[in-house]
Amino acid sequence: MSWFAAILLPQFPLQAALRLRAEAGAGPVAVVEGDTEKGHVLEMTAPAAASGVLRGMASTQAQARCPALQLWPRAQAQEQVVSALLLEMAGTLSPLIEATGEGLCVVDLRQLKTDDWERWARGVVARFAALELRAGVGVASNPDLAVLAATRAEPVLIVQHPGAFLAGIAVAEVDAPPELVAVLRDWGIGHLGELARLPRSELVERLGPAAGVLWERATGRRHRELRLVRPPETFFEAFEFEQPIETIEPLLFILRRQLDQLVLRLREAYRVAAKMTLTLVLEHRAAQYERVFTIPSPTADAEVLLRILHTHLENLRLEQQPIGVRLHIAPVVGETSQHQLFESALRDPNRFGETLARLTALVGEGQVGVVQLEDTHRPDRFQLVAPRFEALKESAEAGREESRALGLPLRRFRPPFAAQVHLRRYLPTFVFSANAHGEIVDAAGPYRLSGQWWERAAWGVEEWDIELGNGELYRISKHQDAWFVEGCYDAPVR
Amino acid sequence: MTPESKIIRLAELRQALARFPAPTAPPERTWESGWAALDERGPLRHAEVAELCASSALGALFLHQILGAIRRRREFAGLIDCGRTFDPDSYRGAALERLLCVACKTAEDGVKAADLLLRDGNLPLVLLDLQALPRRSLGRIPANTWHRFQRLVEKSGTVFIVMTPQPVVEAARVRIALRGRWELSALGRRRSELIAALDVQIFQRGREAGRAAESLVQTA
Repeated sequence: MSWFAAILLPQFPLQAALRLRAEAGAGPVAVVEGDTEKGHVLEMTAPAAASGVLRGMASTQAQARCPALQLWPRAQAQEQVVSALLLEMAGTLSPLIEATGEGLCVVDLRQLKTDDWERWARGVVARFAALELRAGVGVASNPDLAVLAATRAEPVLIVQHPGAFLAGIAVAEVDAPPELVAVLRDWGIGHLGELARLPRSELVERLGPAAGVLWERATGRRHRELRLVRPPETFFEAFEFEQPIETIEPLLFILRRQLDQLVLRLREAYRVAAKMTLTLVLEHRAAQYERVFTIPSPTADAEVLLRILHTHLENLRLEQQPIGVRLHIAPVVGETSQHQLFESALRDPNRFGETLARLTALVGEGQVGVVQLEDTHRPDRFQLVAPRFEALKESAEAGREESRALGLPLRRFRPPFAAQVHLRRYLPTFVFSANAHGEIVDAAGPYRLSGQWWERAAWGVEEWDIELGNGELYRISKHQDAWFVEGCYDAPVR
Repeated sequence: MTPESKIIRLAELRQALARFPAPTAPPERTWESGWAALDERGPLRHAEVAELCASSALGALFLHQILGAIRRRREFAGLIDCGRTFDPDSYRGAALERLLCVACKTAEDGVKAADLLLRDGNLPLVLLDLQALPRRSLGRIPANTWHRFQRLVEKSGTVFIVMTPQPVVEAARVRIALRGRWELSALGRRRSELIAALDVQIFQRGREAGRAAESLVQTA
């Protein structure tokens, strides 16, 4: 016997809106289709239903019945996330899944071997509960029967005897043409059990092929192929705030919950986070702020990921207040590698990444990192870039070049000091500047450098190393006709 | 309980504890720089604050020596460059890819950056270069800052070297004083020769019985 399971997320729009803020579900809340003031109620919480709020009711009428009622518009972004989540979870149960409807999917379990369907279904419900979702699971011998079972599941329902199960279901409850349902009602047939007792051929002869399909459903004999979909492999969470937020705390609260969910899903898929993309939807929805975080050591630890976000958000200033937040994780397969015997590694790369972010916040962008020299002879051209200590490879040549180094290292003045230099027979003899002043007793140069003469950004500089009468050593340079003190080799502290 | 009985009980307790071996201080891990003048007389140690007192030229030479050691040891280091005077062109061929540079303008920012790196504990060696700053700004750094850093490096095992033009770091366990005078011709000599010609003085706190002495004593 083949088995199918239908997974239904009851009150789908309400569940999507309340996810990650379950505490709001304790009060009277209704999700409204369309404008919150002119729309109609789609779903409502139990306290709202107890106050007399009904599905389809105009929102004004609903508020008249329940003055404390909160009216929320449909959370489209969160509904997308929950739909993806449903398929993603279903994809872990079987490769053959169908996105049957909003908050509903059917899973082909023909390849699954189990005798205890009740236990299996309860396990599925528990996994959804971990994702803060309420699910109903129906297991039956064909897809349509499974869907019917899921709508009646509390929270699971296994249909072992289709005839007995279907007998009590009203014809109007199944997806049948309304005119056919009306004719059957005129005949006095209200339930599927009564319909199943009629002969199929005569029913088709009188009411057409649609009646034959309905009869097969009534007898539990209808088999159809699933319209298969591939579960998405995106690890994405979205949340929309009711009001623009002004402080970091509510944002961190939601991010923490989102990360908990994402990490749970990553672990289910045996993946770790390699990159995180944080998107803040700003007050005027056209604008948004986006930042990609590369995780130094890919991890599925929510604490570590939250610290990375927290460090960044602490120093973030936005012109508009955020009204929504989206978090996307790019997963990779977790790596387990053995450390090199002679190569030391960072103890905690993720913590190091956070420290770099804090240092950048302290001293500014581009002021932290390892030196990357530019491919030019122009002096003092380099950038500080993010370190990649784990990818370092030692070349034998590097050490040799280091041992051949000449002279004293320079200490640069940034920016260089403007100076006046006296020349005698093209040799500098006296320098006047804010920090170097005096007679030049020895000078080496000129060292002429130039480049990019074929471009507009052509440059040329003439450099001299000088020794003053007091023993101080400096480098001076001439750009066009202006002199500068570029740095010192040896000079007293001032 | 009478005072006499308390004394007897204390004696009993001491007697009972005498059976256990006396606690021994953990072995000190030295950080070999490959510079004999330093390693033989007063090596740098993990979990200790060291101070280098020298002119800016000698500090830059010391940094060259440290970069060589980092390459040999295949380690990483952090350099907090207060005053933004570090010139990578002067260290072409050195292990710059192993050196995290933090360029900051003031001593205050430098101290904050050092605090972050020492708390992080990922880098085995951190250098705080204060040599380019004016004397008065060094005097504004509270003395307890250095004691706090000593506590931090004790936890992480980091080698922390503060490069200053004059003695500033009260908590330093080792103070390295370099002296040398150069003429313009030095710019054409091999850097290794310049380093070998330096006059190195090392001052250490006493290490008898695992207890630090009050003052720094010059090592022979």
